[in-house]
Amino acid sequence: MASKRTYTWGILLGLAALPGLAFANQEVIKLTQDSKNWAMQAGNMQNQRYSALKQINKENVKNLRVAWTFSTGVLRGHEGGPLVIGDMLYIHSPFPNKVFAISLADQQIKWKYEPRQDPTVIPVMCCDTVNRGLAYADGKIFLQQADTNLVALDAKTGKEMWKVKNGDPKKGETNTNAPHVFKDKVITGISGGEFGVRGFVAAYDIKSGRQVWKAYSTGPDAEMLMDPDKTMTWTDGKMAPVGRDSSLKSWQGDQWKIGGGTTWGWYSYDPKLNLMYYGSGNPSTWNPVQRPGDNKWSMTIWARDVDTGQAKWVYQMTPHDEWDFDGVNEMILADGVNVKGKPRNVLVHFDRNGFGYTLDRVTGQLLVAEKYDPKVNWATHVDMKTGRPQVVAKYSTQAQGADVNTKQICPAALGTKDQQPAAYNPANKMFYVPTNHVCMDYEPFKVEYTAGQPYVGATLSMFPAPGSHGGMGNFIMWDAGTGKIVKSKAEKFSVWSGALVTAGGIACYGTLEGYVKCVDASNISKELYKFKTPSGIIGNLNTWQYKGKQYIGVLSGIGGWAGIGLAAGLEKDTDGLGAVGGYKELKNYTELGGVLTVFVLP
Amino acid sequence: MSSTRRVALSLALAMAPGAAWAQGAGATGYPTVDRVEFVLECMQKNGGKQEFLYKCACLVDEIARAYTYDDFVEASTAARYQSLAGERGGVFRDPPQVRETAKRYLQTQGDAMKHCGVPR
Repeated sequence: MASKRTYTWGILLGLAALPGLAFANQEVIKLTQDSKNWAMQAGNMQNQRYSALKQINKENVKNLRVAWTFSTGVLRGHEGGPLVIGDMLYIHSPFPNKVFAISLADQQIKWKYEPRQDPTVIPVMCCDTVNRGLAYADGKIFLQQADTNLVALDAKTGKEMWKVKNGDPKKGETNTNAPHVFKDKVITGISGGEFGVRGFVAAYDIKSGRQVWKAYSTGPDAEMLMDPDKTMTWTDGKMAPVGRDSSLKSWQGDQWKIGGGTTWGWYSYDPKLNLMYYGSGNPSTWNPVQRPGDNKWSMTIWARDVDTGQAKWVYQMTPHDEWDFDGVNEMILADGVNVKGKPRNVLVHFDRNGFGYTLDRVTGQLLVAEKYDPKVNWATHVDMKTGRPQVVAKYSTQAQGADVNTKQICPAALGTKDQQPAAYNPANKMFYVPTNHVCMDYEPFKVEYTAGQPYVGATLSMFPAPGSHGGMGNFIMWDAGTGKIVKSKAEKFSVWSGALVTAGGIACYGTLEGYVKCVDASNISKELYKFKTPSGIIGNLNTWQYKGKQYIGVLSGIGGWAGIGLAAGLEKDTDGLGAVGGYKELKNYTELGGVLTVFVLP
Repeated sequence: MSSTRRVALSLALAMAPGAAWAQGAGATGYPTVDRVEFVLECMQKNGGKQEFLYKCACLVDEIARAYTYDDFVEASTAARYQSLAGERGGVFRDPPQVRETAKRYLQTQGDAMKHCGVPR
């Protein structure tokens, strides 16, 4: 016993002594490599949402049945999914951000954590009080609360180990993103683009909670951790330094201080390059006429050194946004993708703006930028030399101007895809993407900035993509090497659930009707299994193995309430952003809490 | 008149190969799970009283007469999420056809509630 412990310590010391190899990261990487676990929100550091498990496969998936369910007891939208490490499952809830540790042996709650948060944070959350889940490392569970507190809990007991404030809700800063552990740091971002927040990412030491670095999306080079000579970007068909004051020059006056570029998406990490990747969101306000310039570096893909936070390269997808096409969606890392006959190690990103991007993730070179919904019309294409989208004047809310209703823009502000993460199958190198098939009319108007107040400046109205199948969603299979849709499966409603793909040859996703659907990963039109959970699904499907059996789990619950007795109230509550008040009459209705449904083969 | 046609239609659907999913479809294409869930929810809303077992069962039967199962799923989804908060609620509130679907469903449900003695 004693000798075994000494031996273990020997390994630990050895690892700690290796330059650049932090122990926590090795631990998490090791956990993710054992597909019995689901140790990160996306399954691995590369954000792939892929599992090597194959007990559930395309022949037997039709036999799936419910193994057990767990109710969070919380209403509102349930995003993210469960983490599974060994014999424990960790699940979170939307505001008030409860955390449950559940023993897989008997589904008993081992511990529960419920933070006390000021409910005044609710009205400053633009898009429902969602939370995208937990992170694990070093014996700790990390929770990023809505009120911006980042908390480390003892994974065994739920005891608070440390807590740090990441932002200020009084200024409109809140959090919805999952924290991400890369190496010995837990990295988090900020929400509040609709409140004139200045976006940033921050890295905290997993042991102490001490802030190691913080990097803004806009402003002076030093505050963005950008080196004018060394940080590169795609310029005239090649990579070139961004130059001095690249952000400051792209804003009028000091608008960058309330310029948005928030960071609430899914980050990824390449351990070999020691680079993390994430996207920044829309510039504030939504009224483009009010903020001339390219508004850098909103709407940007970032590659940063995890130790120092220094930006290695950037690529702005939508300069001077006119449609609220946040650039925060997940960054998926894939190796050996064939681009024009050459295998490349790439970053793939499905942006809200409707373009699927493939970049060389080492250099930041732009390789592919193509529409992943043929109805996208705001730009004809991305000019591969400049990297800029070629905007169509008819759909430019800037060209049409304030107080003009620009019609039939595709996609709508929610994007061809929002945060719901896609999955990548290394076996066939294909991407499985849940999408919106929705267009909009958009009318910007002038707004004044007041700290902590909505700073939106546009009204919009959405509808299913005209001249198509009439539905509002698609589940697509995408080739990132060529930038082509391989297959598209129509859905009545938008697909807002994260996808899963497995070595069993199945791809699964959830729908707003509440269905869990599994399709053949080689032919997604072939629906193999469908099950209706109690409520619409905006959570992500995760899979794990316990005691020799493979399980698939997903959260359902999107907010809204049951149809029974709903006759009153239909015409009300049409407020747009900040409309969490849509729930104000909830107590009068049957409460349907979020439910984790876990599936297994008989 | 039209409700008879609807029943015939849902029967046809239930018998069509591939229409019965793993959850199992009942006589009118409505899976047992959905009927039970509907009745339980409705009973709960009415204080769980035994009389509502009958009234709520009547209600789900009425709805099953008016809608095929797939149409019921679509329409009840549209109705439920009219109240969805925030920007994304717009995909349910904005499109006229979704709003119309929701409205028609609530109308049907309202009529059925009256018929079955379920208070609004």
